[in-house]
Amino acid sequence: MKKLLQSLFILMFVAFNAIAQDRTITGTVTSSDDKLPIPGVSVKVNGAQIGAVTDANGKYSITVPSSATSLVLTYIGYASRTVKLTTSTVYNVILTSDSQGLSEVVVTANAIKREKRTLGYSAPTLNNTELTSGQNPSVINSLGGKIAGVNITSSSNTPGSSSRVVLRGGSSISGNNQALIVIDGVPIDNSSIIGGKSSLESVDFGNRGNDINPDDVASVTVLKGPAAAALYGSRASNGALIITTKTGAKGAKPQITFSTSNTFSSILKLPDLQNEYGQGYYDEVGTNDANTTYVNDPKENWSWGAPFTGQIQEYGQSIGGVRLTKPYSAQKDNLRDFFDTGFATDNNLGFSGGGDKTTFYLGLNSLNSNSTFPGKKDVYNRYNVRFNGTAELSEKFTAAVSFNYAKSNSKQPNGGQDDGGIYNNVLQTPRDMPITDFKDLNNPYYGYGVSSPGTYGYYGAYSKNPYWLIDNYENQNDVNRLTGNFTLNYKPASWLNITERLGLDTYTDRRLEKKPKFSFAPADDADNYTAGSNSQVSNGFYQISQYNVNEVVNDLMVTATKKFGEDFDVSLMVGNNIRMRNTSTNVTATNESGGLVVPGWYNLANSNGPVDVVTDYISNRRLFGLYADLNVSYKNMLFLEATARNDWSSTLPVANNSFFYPSVSGSFLFSEVLKKSSGFEFLDYGKLRTSYAQVGNDTDPYQLFTTFSRGEILGGFGSTTFPFGNVTALMAGSILGNANLKPERTSSFEIGTELGFLKNRLSVDFSYYVNNSKDQILSIPIPNSTGYGFSVTNAGEIQNKGIELSLRGTPIKTNSGLSVELYGTFTQNRSKVVSLRDGLEQISVGGYSGMSIVAAVGKAYGEFYGITEAKDAEGRTIVDQATGIPVNTTAAQYLGSYNPKYQASLGTNINYKNFSLGVLFDTKHGGVFYSRTRDIMAFVGTSAETGGARINTVFPNSVYLDANGNSVVNTTGYNKQDYFPNRADGANIVDATFVKLRTLSLGYTFTKEQLKSNRLSALSIGLFGNNLFIWTPESNQYADPEVNSAGAGNAQGFDFSATPSVRNYGVNVKVSF
Amino acid sequence: MKMKNIFSTKNFLFLLLASTVGFTGCKKFLDVNENPNNPDSATPTLLLPTVEASLGQLMGNSFQVFGGIWAQYWTQSPVAGQYRNFDRYSVTNTAFDRSWTTIYRNALVNADLIIKSETPNSDNVKGIAYILKAYTFQAATDAFGDVPLADALDATKSSSPKYDAQSAVYDSVFVYIDKGIALLKSSATTALGEQDIVFQGNAAKWTAFGNTLKLRAYLRISGVDAQKSQAGIRALYAANPTFLNEDAQIKYSTTGGNQNPLYNEAVGLGFVQNLGASATAVNGFKRNNDPRAFKFYDVIAPADTISNILNGASNLSSNSGKSISSPSALVGGRANNPASATAPVKLISSAESAFLQAEAVARGWAAGTVSALFQSGIQASFAATNLTSAQAAAYIATAPDAQLGTSAATQIKAIITQKYYAMCGTQGFEAWTEYRRTGYPNFLITSVTSVLGAGRTPLRFLYPNSEAVSNGNYPGTVVLYQPVWWDVATTVLPN
Repeated sequence: MKKLLQSLFILMFVAFNAIAQDRTITGTVTSSDDKLPIPGVSVKVNGAQIGAVTDANGKYSITVPSSATSLVLTYIGYASRTVKLTTSTVYNVILTSDSQGLSEVVVTANAIKREKRTLGYSAPTLNNTELTSGQNPSVINSLGGKIAGVNITSSSNTPGSSSRVVLRGGSSISGNNQALIVIDGVPIDNSSIIGGKSSLESVDFGNRGNDINPDDVASVTVLKGPAAAALYGSRASNGALIITTKTGAKGAKPQITFSTSNTFSSILKLPDLQNEYGQGYYDEVGTNDANTTYVNDPKENWSWGAPFTGQIQEYGQSIGGVRLTKPYSAQKDNLRDFFDTGFATDNNLGFSGGGDKTTFYLGLNSLNSNSTFPGKKDVYNRYNVRFNGTAELSEKFTAAVSFNYAKSNSKQPNGGQDDGGIYNNVLQTPRDMPITDFKDLNNPYYGYGVSSPGTYGYYGAYSKNPYWLIDNYENQNDVNRLTGNFTLNYKPASWLNITERLGLDTYTDRRLEKKPKFSFAPADDADNYTAGSNSQVSNGFYQISQYNVNEVVNDLMVTATKKFGEDFDVSLMVGNNIRMRNTSTNVTATNESGGLVVPGWYNLANSNGPVDVVTDYISNRRLFGLYADLNVSYKNMLFLEATARNDWSSTLPVANNSFFYPSVSGSFLFSEVLKKSSGFEFLDYGKLRTSYAQVGNDTDPYQLFTTFSRGEILGGFGSTTFPFGNVTALMAGSILGNANLKPERTSSFEIGTELGFLKNRLSVDFSYYVNNSKDQILSIPIPNSTGYGFSVTNAGEIQNKGIELSLRGTPIKTNSGLSVELYGTFTQNRSKVVSLRDGLEQISVGGYSGMSIVAAVGKAYGEFYGITEAKDAEGRTIVDQATGIPVNTTAAQYLGSYNPKYQASLGTNINYKNFSLGVLFDTKHGGVFYSRTRDIMAFVGTSAETGGARINTVFPNSVYLDANGNSVVNTTGYNKQDYFPNRADGANIVDATFVKLRTLSLGYTFTKEQLKSNRLSALSIGLFGNNLFIWTPESNQYADPEVNSAGAGNAQGFDFSATPSVRNYGVNVKVSF
Repeated sequence: MKMKNIFSTKNFLFLLLASTVGFTGCKKFLDVNENPNNPDSATPTLLLPTVEASLGQLMGNSFQVFGGIWAQYWTQSPVAGQYRNFDRYSVTNTAFDRSWTTIYRNALVNADLIIKSETPNSDNVKGIAYILKAYTFQAATDAFGDVPLADALDATKSSSPKYDAQSAVYDSVFVYIDKGIALLKSSATTALGEQDIVFQGNAAKWTAFGNTLKLRAYLRISGVDAQKSQAGIRALYAANPTFLNEDAQIKYSTTGGNQNPLYNEAVGLGFVQNLGASATAVNGFKRNNDPRAFKFYDVIAPADTISNILNGASNLSSNSGKSISSPSALVGGRANNPASATAPVKLISSAESAFLQAEAVARGWAAGTVSALFQSGIQASFAATNLTSAQAAAYIATAPDAQLGTSAATQIKAIITQKYYAMCGTQGFEAWTEYRRTGYPNFLITSVTSVLGAGRTPLRFLYPNSEAVSNGNYPGTVVLYQPVWWDVATTVLPN
């Protein structure tokens, strides 16, 4: 460290020269593809740090010294060009698009721009157009299917909902596995805190990455492995998304761009239903044959009743001696009819430009969405203001400021098995109930408190009218967030650059959960319902949750570059990183069992009994890091990069809180060598790259010591909570601390190649990687018989191996302007839990007691584990010989991982004259998910699988075991009602394979000629859709496998009656002045 | 140019200063890892109420529900369904996760922390903790059979505690009681007052509790190891023990979170009345014209009868929508009567104490008069249900099930049967456990919708799923109808 500091200061105290300036050069940069001007192209004097950027009309103006001999023009997605300077002062330059990226510039760690050719690791980049083609309001969702090695899980895909981004399988057993999100060099928080008590009754308030407005994004570079991200240190062990936001151009006329998209949404996939049986159940005393009698119990949520007759019959409660009537037949589209068409408007106004020495970009965004649940209880509104500015303060000082204020508020429906869980109640509607009728809450037969105060008329005693739930339960949140940075750049000499950047990310997320207080007895006067027992009563609930997160990051980087002879270019960067993160969480609720005093008054002052302080938590963590980055290039074809970093973390024990980690990577542009020999003309570009890296990682604060908490003894649904009268009490906390923690280590090896053929009409990018994460700091669930629930320990190794393949080709490109581009990705990641602590076979990463999601030794990460139905060696279901009902395994079984076996995508971009068409399909193959949607529908007998003959039928492909344990084909019939409502949890594991039409876009761009008479400089209109269609295996009759009740956390593939996902489609218009 | 140089040098100096301060201050800068949110120590007096309240939740809620249903005081009411599967013996391992957590993570670990505490003058608290530890382990082993003990409660020793044989667990129970009673004699004490929510720190009462518990534990193994049982009881009596003559109970209030746990559970379930009167117990009370029945159950107006159904019959069409009598507020079982909130949870009742002594005498292992102890048990039960001594006397004189007989066998039958009546709604788990030990009362039925198969009834709890998935030494699930070690009385079909 001392040495590092010394070199840092030596580099600082160096003399510098000024450069004389002399003439001004101007010009226009256009694209070879469409002949349109390209804004934002970097124009630099070769060998000097003087530069400019083209404006909205592709124009640039640059003052160059007399010594300047050439200009270098670079732009993401285009081959860079060098233009020799003669005496002329106007140079119009045409850039050719270069998807292969011979000289493409990408933004890497710490906002450092690098030529792609020099990188020893895979760093694919998407520009704004590619990113926003599907008009998805989430930047993360917008990445789906577009880059190999990226696994996006979009959950419900509604604006504001959770989505998860994992690169190369994720490296952590119980910690964060998502990629770090970095905006303009500053990491930002992407927390996902689900609302509701747990994932079993979750309210999806999304992840904080949703605060990013995709329209502000100029490009996203995906740094997939630790090698790429080593400079970010511990936080980037899962890779990083490097987001660069839009900037203005110097000397450009102010440009205003307005875009609007209007999006409709509808449910993508609903469960298949049986249409044969209605409300009620069969009489268990009845004999097991055709004489079975059915009970048409009007208060049931079960559809285990008699087969449909189509005859008109009475149903529901009797009010004033009268019951409603309806035909006893199936309501085939009940589920779909319940949902409305969602609508969202996303407006963006961009204002950019610059003076001689300044640039600015101002982006305004508003997104207003009301999703598919009826009424306005699933709304999401987001407002963003972004300002990016740069100024040349003097010849040597430049400053940049980048700030974004995001405000969002949303209302989200209750999910899972919560009292107010809307979808859960919809799913429990008997097959003959006309659900849309129940919308009329003023109807005495559908409403609550209508026919007389304190009574309800709704038919269901065990379920509630979902429309009433929507009206009476509410979950709101309100987020205010400021992110941004100040950057000061000092360039004392042409070879030395000092950058100081202070970044800030601070937000508050305030949530309110409201559950009504009510007491309704059935209005029924026909003795079908009982006042005492069928009453619907709730004490009400009100909870305020306040999450504050504040993070300050400071980087000081000194870079020296030097050319040694003709062939060697060397640069060395040393830097220092300081990170401070403070969070606080306050969750306060009305008394858990007392609830509210006065109905409808949602205030803690209305608590019936002492206010419940659910969480009062603050945390501080700090990190100090020093790093160095050495780059050497030889003849611009052989590149070597080495990085080193040492971190000191506040969260580790003092003895172990310093950790060092290096990385080295190289790339070899072998096409440069082959160029000289004949026979390789077909190859335009060929690069081999390899890297090895280590990253250390600290842990969360306060993991070192065991603590005590307030006495609270949980029952199944209630609890005994201290103070008990005047008696106070403490109890042992649930987590055993560990004062000897060591930092975690992730190491990664990667080898890959990039190839361009046939004048770059075909390109290939391939990577193979192995990541190993060791000494993971885990809060291991230990048996409760130890007296504790979890033990913090360094244990475990997880390995991810995989391949990533990207192909891109342009098979058709005609002079008439037709071009067809095809692209595809293939990703296969094999994760494996190599070891845990000695004697420990697995730990749980989520789920619930009936179905754990575990990391088990020898298995893939995220394996489902639970009791399931026993099968014999031939895969036949074992049933009880006497009952004909499947028997369950005596111990929990591994039931498959949520991780796909492989992912792939296939897309095309077709351009013809003014039209452009984009289509992208993607698939995840293999993997399973747990569907509680399936479970609850089996329970109430509404799913298709509960249909068909129900009485005395033989379980398909079943055997029983005889006294010797041999399988004997089973002929004993069973009654489905005795089986489906009480199935082992393992029966609810469903194949998660899917193919989706991820995006479809059709655009029309007006040419300059068409717009000539207008003031407009650009105009395009488009139709778009995302998440449009899904194909699933026949066995998945339940849900989109991407839905998830645990938000963006590690418990994936967990459909606990999760809100169904939506397809979005609409129209967008973009206009520039 | 000169100006610029000066400016730059200043700037560099500032940076140098900032970096140096940053570096030397590094240690201080990083020293922010002390948890501001939770205390890192707790005194025994602050831990004791947690242990006691945990037993309140255990015996008053999860064990009470299973015990109450399987002892057939209660059944699932046809108008709801929460406990329907328990009533049909159709349970999964997950149903026992909560009980296990309450036992080990709430009651035992905190009792153990008290015992290990270095806080001075804590002998009396440690004595109580030992006795409660014994009580909890007995409940755990009576429910689950073999359970972790020697390896348990110390993750540094084993993160996968082995399961100890039930006989070994019983051996430890006796040792803990002895240690507890010895510590209660110490003078290095702390005044507990209200922090002891059972006996307010009264060492004499805790000693009596320990003796009574020891008697209960020795009698439990009387079938499987009569010799040890007899020797233990003789040794106990030789020391002139005091036994409980009042209920060891926790009193609750109507404050949210301080309510009777069974009622508190019903509140959490939206006030749904799941528990109803079982025909088994109600018919027993009726046969004996027992006035306590109207205390243990609410009547259904206007008939003024205790409407009941058979265990497991809630789902039969004949009972569809039928409203049956619920357990009363006196036992915390009436979901929509706030008076249920104040029902106490009884760890050991004075009636039980008397019946235990009566049995010891009836077996000839202790001196005393069986009939006196037997009658005082019935008297205590009547008193606990706010009935008069005269009513009790009339019952004793006339009730067929209150006739003691002369042989040890008939006496034990009468004692256990009377203990069964006395424990209705308040000590369901203990009643079911004594039924497993003795086969009394002999009028229990098999759930009419049993899923276990002919001749099988629940004889233990299933190990919790949480152990199955986290404990490397998980012994495997033992079926519900497999008797525990001391259970040699009930006829059981082989596994």
